[in-house]
Amino acid sequence: MTVAGDAQQRIEAYLGRLRGRLRGANEAEVREIVEELRSHILDKAAASEEAHGEITSAGVDAALAALGSPEELASEYMTDTLLARAEVSRSPVQILRSLFRWASLSVAGFFVLLGSVLGYFFGVVFILVAVAKLFHPHTAGLWAFPSGAGDTEISFRLGFGSVPTGGRDLLGWWMVPIGWVAGGGLVMLTTYIAVWFVRQYRRSLALPRN
Amino acid sequence: MKEREARELEAGDKWEVQLRKGCLELAILAALWEGKRYGLEILRRLESDSDLIVSEGTVYPLLSRLKALGLLRSEWVESEGGHPRKYYALTSAGKRRAAEMAGIWAQFSSSMSKLLAPLS
Repeated sequence: MTVAGDAQQRIEAYLGRLRGRLRGANEAEVREIVEELRSHILDKAAASEEAHGEITSAGVDAALAALGSPEELASEYMTDTLLARAEVSRSPVQILRSLFRWASLSVAGFFVLLGSVLGYFFGVVFILVAVAKLFHPHTAGLWAFPSGAGDTEISFRLGFGSVPTGGRDLLGWWMVPIGWVAGGGLVMLTTYIAVWFVRQYRRSLALPRN
Repeated sequence: MKEREARELEAGDKWEVQLRKGCLELAILAALWEGKRYGLEILRRLESDSDLIVSEGTVYPLLSRLKALGLLRSEWVESEGGHPRKYYALTSAGKRRAAEMAGIWAQFSSSMSKLLAPLS
């Protein structure tokens, strides 16, 4: 079947707008979505012009109207697929991307994102210090210092530079196993909780809204 | 009087829309039960075999989601028109889920029938 030049242009314009809105999905997936919809539009337009064997802009316009605006379509794709992937994947990167999407849609999503970022952040800090301890045995770790007005300040140190006077290494070599366990545990717990929240949100989407 | 009737009609429509949306996932799985189909085929099957008027803008993202959940797999097949078509088929997890949902549907609809008997 042949496609009138004008019709081809309209299809590409529509798909271009759609592609522009499909962020957060990887290139291969975006290409598949665009190809599938192009195929749908061509088939639908061809079906409505059967006698002529040519796809005209009228047929294409009807097909595009039935699909709805590319912005709405992209929005449906983003929400559905990203959320489904967060449930299935265990990768923190994937989960954070889905949470960013959810955070842009609701306040609850924002707070779950915030909590998850904090959880992952501290998990990573624990692990980094545990690793640093192996390279800087005498300066890395969880240290306590007297700070000015008789208070004690506690901080994680990666061990670069020298230790200020009066500091005490609280955990010594225990920093290594504790850091790995606490860090790993925190990352897994954050993942588990984030996925749980995402699941609840997806369930709430499936329920009728008043 | 007219305004109240209009409002009642609108509320009824919203319920119906939500009902159709809730069924769509099961409808798609059922449409694929007998073999692989591509998007437009699924849409046509849904429109002809059932009263479900489905919006295409909902079906394609839903197919994508069902695939991401592992219930469907897809493959590209060349068509006579020259452009490739994306065919979907149920995975074994998809078949299990479809059977499960069909069971829940049957149970639900028979319970409702009992409840609705006095109304008919």
